[in-house]
Amino acid sequence: MIFKKIIYAILGVFFISCFDGSTEKSTINIWHQMHYENRKVLREVCNWYEDENPGIQINLTYRETEELRSNYQSSAMGGSGPELIYGPSDQVGPFAAMGIIQPLDTLFTDDFFNTFVDNAIISYQGHKWMVGDVVGNHLMLLYNKNLVTSPPQNTDELIAMGKEYTLDVDGDGKIDRYGLVWNFTEPFFYAPWLGGFGGWLLDYENQPTLNTEANRKGFAFIKSLRDEHKIIPQECDYEIANAMFLSGEAAMIINGDWSWGNYKGKVDFGIARIPMVSETGLWPTPIVGTKGYSINTNVQGRELEEVNRLLQFLTSAKVQLYFTEKVNSQPSSKAALKDERIAENEILKASARVVEAGRPMAVVPEMRAIWDALRTQYQAVLGGSATPENAASLAQKNALKQIQLMNEVQTPGNSIWIFRLGMFLLGGIILLLIIKNGKDIAESFRENKTAYLFIAPAFVMVFAIIIFPFFYNILISFSNFSLNTFRDWQIIGFHHYVEVFTDLHFYTILIKTGIWTFTNLFFHLGIGILLAVLINRTLPAKPLLRTALIIPWAVPQYISALTWRGMFNQEYGSVNMILEKFLFMEGLQWLSSPTETFIACILTNVWLGFPFMMIVALGGLQSIPTELYEAAEVDGASRWQQFKCITLPMLMPVMIPAMILGMIWTFNNINVVWLVSNGGEPSDQTHILVSFVYKAAFNLYRYGYAAALSMIIFCILLVMGIYSIRQSNSTESVY
Amino acid sequence: MRKQIETWLIFLFLSIFTLGTIYPVLNIFGVSLREDNAFQTRSLAVISENSGLYNYVQLFTGTDFLIWLKNSLLVSAAVTILGVALASTCAYALSRYRFKGRNLGMMALLTTQMFPATMLLLPFFILLSKLGLINSYLGLVIIYSSTALPFCIWQMKGFYDTIPPALEESACLDGCNPLQAFYKIILPLSTPALVITALFSFMASWSEYVVAAIILQDPELYTLPLGLKSFQSSLATEWGLYAAGAVVVSIPVVILFISLARFLVSGLTLGSVKG
Repeated sequence: MIFKKIIYAILGVFFISCFDGSTEKSTINIWHQMHYENRKVLREVCNWYEDENPGIQINLTYRETEELRSNYQSSAMGGSGPELIYGPSDQVGPFAAMGIIQPLDTLFTDDFFNTFVDNAIISYQGHKWMVGDVVGNHLMLLYNKNLVTSPPQNTDELIAMGKEYTLDVDGDGKIDRYGLVWNFTEPFFYAPWLGGFGGWLLDYENQPTLNTEANRKGFAFIKSLRDEHKIIPQECDYEIANAMFLSGEAAMIINGDWSWGNYKGKVDFGIARIPMVSETGLWPTPIVGTKGYSINTNVQGRELEEVNRLLQFLTSAKVQLYFTEKVNSQPSSKAALKDERIAENEILKASARVVEAGRPMAVVPEMRAIWDALRTQYQAVLGGSATPENAASLAQKNALKQIQLMNEVQTPGNSIWIFRLGMFLLGGIILLLIIKNGKDIAESFRENKTAYLFIAPAFVMVFAIIIFPFFYNILISFSNFSLNTFRDWQIIGFHHYVEVFTDLHFYTILIKTGIWTFTNLFFHLGIGILLAVLINRTLPAKPLLRTALIIPWAVPQYISALTWRGMFNQEYGSVNMILEKFLFMEGLQWLSSPTETFIACILTNVWLGFPFMMIVALGGLQSIPTELYEAAEVDGASRWQQFKCITLPMLMPVMIPAMILGMIWTFNNINVVWLVSNGGEPSDQTHILVSFVYKAAFNLYRYGYAAALSMIIFCILLVMGIYSIRQSNSTESVY
Repeated sequence: MRKQIETWLIFLFLSIFTLGTIYPVLNIFGVSLREDNAFQTRSLAVISENSGLYNYVQLFTGTDFLIWLKNSLLVSAAVTILGVALASTCAYALSRYRFKGRNLGMMALLTTQMFPATMLLLPFFILLSKLGLINSYLGLVIIYSSTALPFCIWQMKGFYDTIPPALEESACLDGCNPLQAFYKIILPLSTPALVITALFSFMASWSEYVVAAIILQDPELYTLPLGLKSFQSSLATEWGLYAAGAVVVSIPVVILFISLARFLVSGLTLGSVKG
């Protein structure tokens, strides 16, 4: 009864809190992805605006770039979403194609657009979609002034200086300082070099141009920096590079303008262009990106006028200058650029010189496919599994294929009739079943009223919210829902299912997912039960041990998974240090070869998962009467016999739910794989089915295909679930 | 004597294992003490030279951490209470009664866990915005409970299965009605399962991020995972704050576990059947 009162009280509070949001002020929501320091400045300028316009309230919501994109897609698609969306220019292409932002040409005059530098106004397919307030985001060479007096001008100098600064200070055979570090495995950080060798990612018709001499040379060049000249670390991601530069363990770093704030006051650094490629005499071309505001397509009428005014305010010279003053951002307003505070800013001056060599970020949706294809093959070269020649030609081929897949719009074929017939039959069968069993159920209901009353609340709770999404997905899986049909998709039949089953790749990933699931489950259960049995006895410091062992469960997964990723670094990670120091083994390339990365993911997930199983097992052990053990001891049964004949069978009823659900959860656990392998690296080979779904849905906008794949995952798990329940049914009741 | 050696050997093994287990967490702790906002280190040492409590001070004074904490506690408490109340009753019926649709219902509970969550986000959003549940805790609590319940129900049911029905039968002979038998006899015997249900429901809402991110858009309503995530942005994460937040966030879980752990022992013995 007390429970019920508390629940009513809490539900009451919730109901009230949902309805009190209505005030007479008109609210403008902005979703953005600004860096931490910039967010504070944005809040300040929005406060100015609110003070000047008392009728308006501005809500700011931060989301990380990728999430901003996917959440905005969902919400705009659902007919709502923020009025203004702020982000990098490359989101313009997909958003415009989906029809979820509105063209700005008719809303503003050319006079307004002309107050900005050219690349601040983002156009796509003949319309203007975004007004940029910041132009930059470009990569450059940052050097530690305490180590490097003048930055290298060309790659020959870079290599010579790199060798000079790459040192083993204490003579233990390990490099203590590198000449150069950067996040070199990421294509965005490779792109400048591609320009330096005279090539680029795509041509003016937005077709990929990856199978070029420039790309082959670029691949070979980065590999030679690491393997031949040894001036960059073997494995180096963004965080490692950052940490090394901060601690003086790297003399130079290639990083973007966003990193200045973090280095300021900690490292005395200088800025220069990425050194000219000696062979071609060309400067590397960093990508220059614009960030700015777009207007949601759902905003209309008077609200639109208010949003327009706010957009003009936020992109005004006054606001831009304030941003520059606070966070050194490069303004896009011509008036702001003429201001003396900008003209005299040393960092911005150096940065402007870097921008001169840069190239604007492409805004077409195809860019995604090109990055993807490039990433896979580039990492294959670095991992040693492909030659630059093969990689370049494969990258081109894959990019073309993915662009085609992304843009294709399937139309209902002949199979639509089979589909309709099938649906019709299915409906009939369900109807028949209901009629046939209806009487039985009614009768059973009369007999077992208490039982039905007991289960009703929980079942309503569970199914109320899941049923619509479930059927929605079934529908989507038979449709052509994708980038170009975002607002007008239609049912096309079994196309996506056929596509999945005829793709060999699917079967490889399925096998991998199987290995992933069962290895994890085995160790979760094994370690969990072992620990539970060991700790379920009189021990010194037992509460302390027991509490310490659940800590992996308590810490937020995101940071612990990334910590593990750091621990797996080849040169600096603790895993290899322990292997080398205490076990006298060779360190492994945990994050750059496919098998090791997969093992690294499993190790991380085992660590994350065993505490939960331990607690469940510990709870289960309590249901075993101690008399049983006493009797067994009298009969002279050994420890092992006791464990095998009493503990395990008695533990089963309690462990089985955790086992079956553990299997399902592990099968669908995307987080660990995604975080530890950094989205499937190396070369997209570290995927399980769900991470593959995620990629299809959000990277290439192929919702129909992703939904079909999800349905297949669902069916696989359904079969596995039913099978394991059948297997375990014999243990349903021990009494 | 042999027993004592055994105890110490087990203690030694567990201690070493525990050390290995908490090492990554110590790393996070180390990052939270650093002022240079770097995530990775290259030594086995946990605490570096430039350590201090700067990030913790910043976390409590310079961010909305306390608001997030309050929000999260509210949501998690609601989910835990709902989870325990609904799972314990529902599972009892599933364990003790034989009725039409029982097996199907149990299976259906499992199936809700089988669909990849990433694909549910879009329809969730459409549904919730139609129901007006965006920016409300009600929607969040319903979704969290519905994700936590299937496991809790199954787990409770498994535990009830190990309790001999003879106990209730004798209670009924003594004049209890079935409801009383459940409240007075079965529930007190099931504390270990209730602890697991409570912990699990709590964790399901305490650390959930993805659903919260689509439902809660107003920063005032943010729960802890959303708040923590706002320290992260692509290529420029406030690692010090994030790590400090992560450490603080795990404390309530540990406290909850410690306070519940004493119920992880049960009074159930074979004697209660025979006697």
